[in-house]
Amino acid sequence: MKKKKVQGNGWTDKVYYVTRFGTILGLMMMFFPAANPGYVCNLINKNLSLFTTAISYDSLTTQAMRPLDKGWVDKSSFIMLMVAAAIVCLGILLGAVAGCMSVGNLKLKRISNWFGLAGSVVMGGGMVIMYKAYEKFGGSSRPDKVYNILPNGMYIFTALAVVLVVANIVIILFQPRPEKGEQCEIKTPMKLFLMFVPIIAFVFVFSYLPLWGWRYAFFDYKAGETLTMDKFVGFKWFTFLFQNEATRGDIMRVLKNTLIMSGLGIATSWVPMAFAIFLTEIRCGWFRRIVQTFTTIPNFISWVLVYAIAFAIFSTEGFVNNFLTDITGTAHTTNYLLGESGTWFKMLAWGMWKGTGWSAIIYISGISGIDQQLYEAATVDGAGRFQKMWHITVPGLIPTFCVLLLMSVANILSNGMDQYLVFENAKNAVDIEVLDLYVYKIGIGKGLVPLSTVVGMVKTLVSVTLLFLANGVSKAIRGESIM
Amino acid sequence: MAKTKQEKLDLKAEKQYYKTHKKKQKLTVGDVIFNILNYAFFGIFTISCIFPFYYLFINTISDNSLVRIGAINFIPKGIHFQNYLSLLNAGEILDAFLVSASRTVIGTALMVVVSALAGYLMTKQEMWHRKIWYRFLVITMYFNAGLVPTYLNFLMLGLTENYLVYIIPAIVQPYNIILVKTYIESIPAELEESAFIDGASHMKIFRNIIWPLSKPILATIAIFGAVGHWNSFMDSILYMSGTPELQTLQHRLYIYLNQTTSLANIMQGGVSSSQAASAMASVMDAKTIKYTISMVTVIPILAVYPFMQRYFEKGIMLGAVKG
Repeated sequence: MKKKKVQGNGWTDKVYYVTRFGTILGLMMMFFPAANPGYVCNLINKNLSLFTTAISYDSLTTQAMRPLDKGWVDKSSFIMLMVAAAIVCLGILLGAVAGCMSVGNLKLKRISNWFGLAGSVVMGGGMVIMYKAYEKFGGSSRPDKVYNILPNGMYIFTALAVVLVVANIVIILFQPRPEKGEQCEIKTPMKLFLMFVPIIAFVFVFSYLPLWGWRYAFFDYKAGETLTMDKFVGFKWFTFLFQNEATRGDIMRVLKNTLIMSGLGIATSWVPMAFAIFLTEIRCGWFRRIVQTFTTIPNFISWVLVYAIAFAIFSTEGFVNNFLTDITGTAHTTNYLLGESGTWFKMLAWGMWKGTGWSAIIYISGISGIDQQLYEAATVDGAGRFQKMWHITVPGLIPTFCVLLLMSVANILSNGMDQYLVFENAKNAVDIEVLDLYVYKIGIGKGLVPLSTVVGMVKTLVSVTLLFLANGVSKAIRGESIM
Repeated sequence: MAKTKQEKLDLKAEKQYYKTHKKKQKLTVGDVIFNILNYAFFGIFTISCIFPFYYLFINTISDNSLVRIGAINFIPKGIHFQNYLSLLNAGEILDAFLVSASRTVIGTALMVVVSALAGYLMTKQEMWHRKIWYRFLVITMYFNAGLVPTYLNFLMLGLTENYLVYIIPAIVQPYNIILVKTYIESIPAELEESAFIDGASHMKIFRNIIWPLSKPILATIAIFGAVGHWNSFMDSILYMSGTPELQTLQHRLYIYLNQTTSLANIMQGGVSSSQAASAMASVMDAKTIKYTISMVTVIPILAVYPFMQRYFEKGIMLGAVKG
C-alpha cells in the first residue's frame, strides 16, 4: 500500500515530543536513587541509582554480604537484577540515540523510529526481567530478613516503557514516507545543537543538579538517611541559626573572621599596584625580569605547599630557629606556627606573599600601556619622580584597580578554605575559622547536613546579590559591566 | 614558538617606556636613596620568595644527621640523593604521585578538547537557541550550590571514592569555554567561510582551521588547568577519605605534615624487601621525610614554570580583558 505524500512531516512530529521528553525523563531518572526500580529489597543500598545498579556489582551488594554468606539470597538474584538494570539503561540509551536522530529530515526520522521502538522494547524487556528478579528475592528462605519491596521506580519505568512503545508504533504507522532519493541529513542549527548537547548535560549534572540538594535545608535530615515528607521542617534550620545560643555564637565569630580577613585583603589591594609602579622604576632589565619571575612562583604552588614552606621556615626545627640558635649561641625552639596572636595578620601576610607578585603583572602591563607623551610632558614641566607616579601612573591604573576592587567586594564572603584549613591548629582555631571552613566542618566533619546547607545557601545568595550590586556600581560609575 | 604580533607590540611599548624614562641621566641624592631602597626592597622580597624552596632543597640532599641537628641553613653538606630514592621506593608516595600526574594529564587533555569544541560551537550564531545555552553556561560561574549539596550530588552519582571524581566534574569549565569563544571570534571569519564554501563540515573546519589557529589560548588554558589539577587537594580530602590509594600527592603531603609519629612506618613498609634500604630508611626522620615530599610535590611546578611563564602572564591578561 503506497501512502499519499504530504507536504511537511505531518502531525506525527508532535508525537516526537512525547518520545523525546520520555527519554530525557528516563535518562535523568537513571541517576536518581529515589526512582531506582532496582530497589527491590531492603538489602540494596537506598542511595543507589539505576545506573550504578547496572555497572557496579560491588556497590549493589555492599549491604548484602551476610545474607549472601548465609544463603538467604542467591547470588544469581543480584546478577539478574544487575543484568535487568543494564538492559533498561541500554534501552534508554537507544531511545536517546533515536531522539537525537529524530531532529533530522524525514528519511533520518524513519530510521530513528526503529531505534526508538527497539529501545523502548528493550527497556520493557528489562523491566520484565527486573520484575522476575523481584519475585526471586521474594522467594527467599528468610522473608523476615529480606523484605521484598516493589519500588515506585518499577511502576514509573514500566509506564515509561509502555508509553514509549505505543508512541513509537504510532509514529511508525502514521508517518508519511520520504521522497525518493532523499538523503539523510540534519539541518545545521540542529546539528550544532546536537554537538553541544553533551556539554549541556555535563553542566546540568555538575552545576544545576547540586541545587536540588538545597532541599536538605528544609528537612530534618541526618547523613545516610532517606528523605521523606514527614521530616519536612520548613524554615526550622534558618531560625535555628539565630535562636540557638551556641550556633549563633559560632556564626558571629566565623562571620567576624571572614569579614576581617576579606577586609584586610581589600584594605591591602593597592599593594600589587604599588609593587608594579615601583618595579617599573627599576632601570636594570635583568633585575626586573628576575624579580618578576621569582615573585610570581608562589602563586602557582598549592596552599599545602605554602604550609610546607611555613613549616620548614617557622616550625620548632625550622630555619628561623636554627638560624637564631647559630647566631646567638642559645637554643631557640619557638614554634611560630602555633602562635595564638595575630592570626588574621599572619594569614594576610601569607596571602600577600603568595599573591602580590602575580597580581602585579596586570598593573605592570597596564603601565606599559600608558601614553609616554604624558611622562615627557610632565618631565618638561619639571615634575619629579613621585609627582609623575602619583599624577600619571596611578590615574592610569585606577580603572583596573576599581574592577578588581569591586570583584573582591563581591567575593567578600568567599575567601576559600584551603589556606585556613592547612594553617589551622589547636591554638589558632578560634580566629582562623572562616565561613567556608565552618561549612566544611559542620557539614562533612559533624554530618550536620541541613545546617551546613542553610549556611552555604545563604552565603551563595548573599554573594550573588553582592555581585549584582558591584556590577550595578560599576555600570553607574564606569558605564561598563564587570561580568 | 614565534612571538605573536601583539607580544611584539607589547615589547616595543615597554622598550619605549624605558627609553623615555632613561633620558634623565643626572642622579640626585634623592634618586640614589630611592634606588637603593627600591632595589633593596625588591631584592629582599624576591629572596623571600625563592629562598624557602632552596632551603627545602638543600635540606633534602644534605647529610641527614646534619639536617636533624639543624646545621644546614645556607650551604648543603654531604650531598646525597638517597632521600628521594627511598621515598620513591615507598609505594605510597609513588602511588600518590601517579594519581596526581595521571589526573593532571588526562583531566587537562579532556578539558582542553572540550573547551575548544564548546567554545567553537558557541561562536555559531545559527545554533538552535544559542543564546539560551550560552546563558545556561555562563550563569553557573556566579553561583555555587555549596559544599555539602555538591558532596551529596557526587555521592548520588557514585563519584565518591572513585578516581573519576578528579576528571569528570572538571571537564566542562565555563570560564575557559568563554575564553576560547572570545579568542575564536577574533579569528577572521573569512577563513572559515571560504572553507565552508569549499564544502568542509563543521568538524573539519574545527580540526583543520580553528584548532591550529587557537593554539595560543588553548596552551594557556591547558597550563592553568594542569596547575589546578596538580595543586588540587580539597577534592581528594572530600571525596577520597576512605580510599588512601587514590589520594593525590598534595593530600598525602597534607597528611604527613600533620603527622609526627607513624612516618617512619611508611618508609619501612615500602622498602622492607631490602635490608640495606631499610637501614637507610630508618636514617630518615620525620622532618626529612616531610621536606622530601614537599620537594617532590613542588619540583614539577618549578620545572615547567620557566618555560610556561609567558602563558601564565598571558592568562591573567585574558582574565582582565574579560573582566
